[in-house]
Amino acid sequence: MKILIATSGVPFIRGDAEILAESLRKALSEAGHQAELVVIPFKPCPPSRIPEQILACRLLDLTETCGVRIDRVIGLKFPAYLIPHEKKVIWLLHQHRAAYELWEQPEAGDLMHYPDGHLIREAIRQADRELIPEARAVYALSENVSERLRRYSGIAAEPLYHPPANAHLFHNGSASDYFFCPGPVNSTNRQWLAIQAVAQCRERVHIRLGGEPASFPQQAKSVNKGKWSDRVEWLGRLSEEQKRDLYANCRGVIFPGVDEGYGYVALEAMLASKPVIATSDCGGPLEFVLADQTGLVAHPTPESLAQAMDRLWAGRRCAAAMGEAGRAHYQDLHISWPNVVEKLLC
Amino acid sequence: MQVLPVLARSHEVVLWTDQDEVAPEVHQIAPIARYHPGAPPWREINNGTISIYHLGNHLDFHAGLWQVSTQQPGIVVLHDLCLHDFFFTLLVRHRKDRGAYLNAMERWYGQEGRQSAEAFCAGGVSAESMTQNFPLTREATRNALGAITHCGGALEELQETPACPAAALDFPYAAAEESRYRARLAARDGVPHPPYRLVVFGYLNRNRRLEPLLEALAGLGEREQFRLELCGQLWDESHIREQIERLGLNSIVSLPGFLSDDQVERKLSTCHLAINLRYPSMGEASLSQLQFWDYGLPTLVTRTGWYASLPEDATAFVRPASEVADIQAHLRAFLADPGAFRAMGERGRRSLKDHHPQTYVDAMTRFAAEALQLSRRASALALARSIGSDLTEWLPAAASPYLLERVSKEIYAIFEGRRRG
Repeated sequence: MKILIATSGVPFIRGDAEILAESLRKALSEAGHQAELVVIPFKPCPPSRIPEQILACRLLDLTETCGVRIDRVIGLKFPAYLIPHEKKVIWLLHQHRAAYELWEQPEAGDLMHYPDGHLIREAIRQADRELIPEARAVYALSENVSERLRRYSGIAAEPLYHPPANAHLFHNGSASDYFFCPGPVNSTNRQWLAIQAVAQCRERVHIRLGGEPASFPQQAKSVNKGKWSDRVEWLGRLSEEQKRDLYANCRGVIFPGVDEGYGYVALEAMLASKPVIATSDCGGPLEFVLADQTGLVAHPTPESLAQAMDRLWAGRRCAAAMGEAGRAHYQDLHISWPNVVEKLLC
Repeated sequence: MQVLPVLARSHEVVLWTDQDEVAPEVHQIAPIARYHPGAPPWREINNGTISIYHLGNHLDFHAGLWQVSTQQPGIVVLHDLCLHDFFFTLLVRHRKDRGAYLNAMERWYGQEGRQSAEAFCAGGVSAESMTQNFPLTREATRNALGAITHCGGALEELQETPACPAAALDFPYAAAEESRYRARLAARDGVPHPPYRLVVFGYLNRNRRLEPLLEALAGLGEREQFRLELCGQLWDESHIREQIERLGLNSIVSLPGFLSDDQVERKLSTCHLAINLRYPSMGEASLSQLQFWDYGLPTLVTRTGWYASLPEDATAFVRPASEVADIQAHLRAFLADPGAFRAMGERGRRSLKDHHPQTYVDAMTRFAAEALQLSRRASALALARSIGSDLTEWLPAAASPYLLERVSKEIYAIFEGRRRG
């Protein structure tokens, strides 16, 4: 089949969505298909220009190229998933979040800060409600994304899980004396919560934070002056190999983020046979963490997070057993690219 | 203050103001939030489901509101319809932006509007003429999701505004309890007459027609049967006093000036006819008119603007072209049959049920909900205008009918659904 993967991106920005799109293209090629990416440049500011970008996508014609029919379009991101095609399947990574769940979180979303925010939000929601159902099938990145789509747009979508990049390279090493807290340092990943939890721990817990700070959080500045600052280590930007080694040798993995679309951190921890401490509002990772079996779920407070950290720190054997259970659970989920390809092309 | 308590009982209301002072009683009804027109806190304003902007002719009170309303579309409640003076003063005098004023005039009145505006700026046209011929009402609702007026006659012009639904609601007024109304009637019955007491109330500007009123009274043979009180601030008191003197009305006409609430209560309970003329009218509804009816008072009004829409059997109309003759005819009719005029006032009082604040709030919230439903149409038109403007730059209309049709259909699909042919 000739397949186009329609996604959008902000030029010069590369993140999980870009990795996913390339991984999907590779998986389709490995399954014997001709697949290419169509990346629509997306500019969310000012929001008043967003309807034009929806229209631009709607005017694209991906039915054929040089007289050869395009057999399938797979839409991933807003507004590219609105490009029309008779045999389009949407695998929804996320809608334009500022018009949905981030509308209620003004510190994370931008749309609410504009005078025409209401109008643009409604235009985006209307376009999604009306045009997403054009697709012959709609899948979602996760249960969390599927639930958002149902809640805000009234559209059902089956969650379709995929493996993290280079899943086969994750491994288990020793269980050294640190918790690993990976991911870009920003407000939605809430690393500050983990740092504040360290101060509340009874055990002499150490954490290593891996990821490039988008901005150095105020909370982190204060912790550097605290008596526990020697127990918090900022690693900065990590290579993929460094990241896998930190997973392999940690006591456990902490994910204190909020409403994450997909549980990459949880899946990577499971692949490395490590237990996960997740916050109860972290979204996607909760789909993979079996509480008290493969990890712990804490309230999003320093006190609750500290309790969970103490428990895994003191119970080394328990932590190791949870890690092993996580690895087994990953196998049980049958998360693989061939499964993804089969679903998207059926 | 008639609407707010009722609205706040059933909705979460935040009152936004750029004024330094807010009446203390307002704080009891809803939280007050402040904004600077140059940098409104959009995040907080966007917390509301919809913004309602009350716009009128007063630059100090309404300029900031209008500025915000042009950026964040909401429901515009028009308290005046003739807004030419407002926009001219704001744009030309305050902002020194003559171009914006000329553009606004051209936007709504074409080349004729622009040329008249240029002539007005050069001093060649009177302000009164501009106000009547180019009210610029639609400039106030340019980005609105909906417009509410209290004057049915304004709907025709407002509904020409694309994508902006308009509604005329009866001006809200909470009438007095029946027992209080009866007490007012009883107080009036206790006043010895003749002479019959006539009153004019409010800010007595030139458009309150005091000169023809005085002239009519002076020319009336039965003028000794009346006493006229001009209650309120006069735009030119010495001029009016000169007129009274000149017409020999010193024994008939008095100027008690501004009255306190208690004095108003006593005055309206003991007079027999209220004269509530306006010409030219700015189109506004008159709270005073409803107040007169609440005292069961018969009224003389000009057949213009909002007043022209009042019930025929509850008011006596004065035609702008024959003011003196009409006033005299009504005063003679009053003397001939005071009971008929009293019945007119009572019918006015009964009509106040249509003005109940709860009725107003219900209608306003229904209208706001409908306007929100239609708001995506505003977005669709904005996009169509933007795309159309861009295409016009480089694509001859005849060159690609397919493209125009395709763009139209897709805009429709995005905002309205997938009913494409």
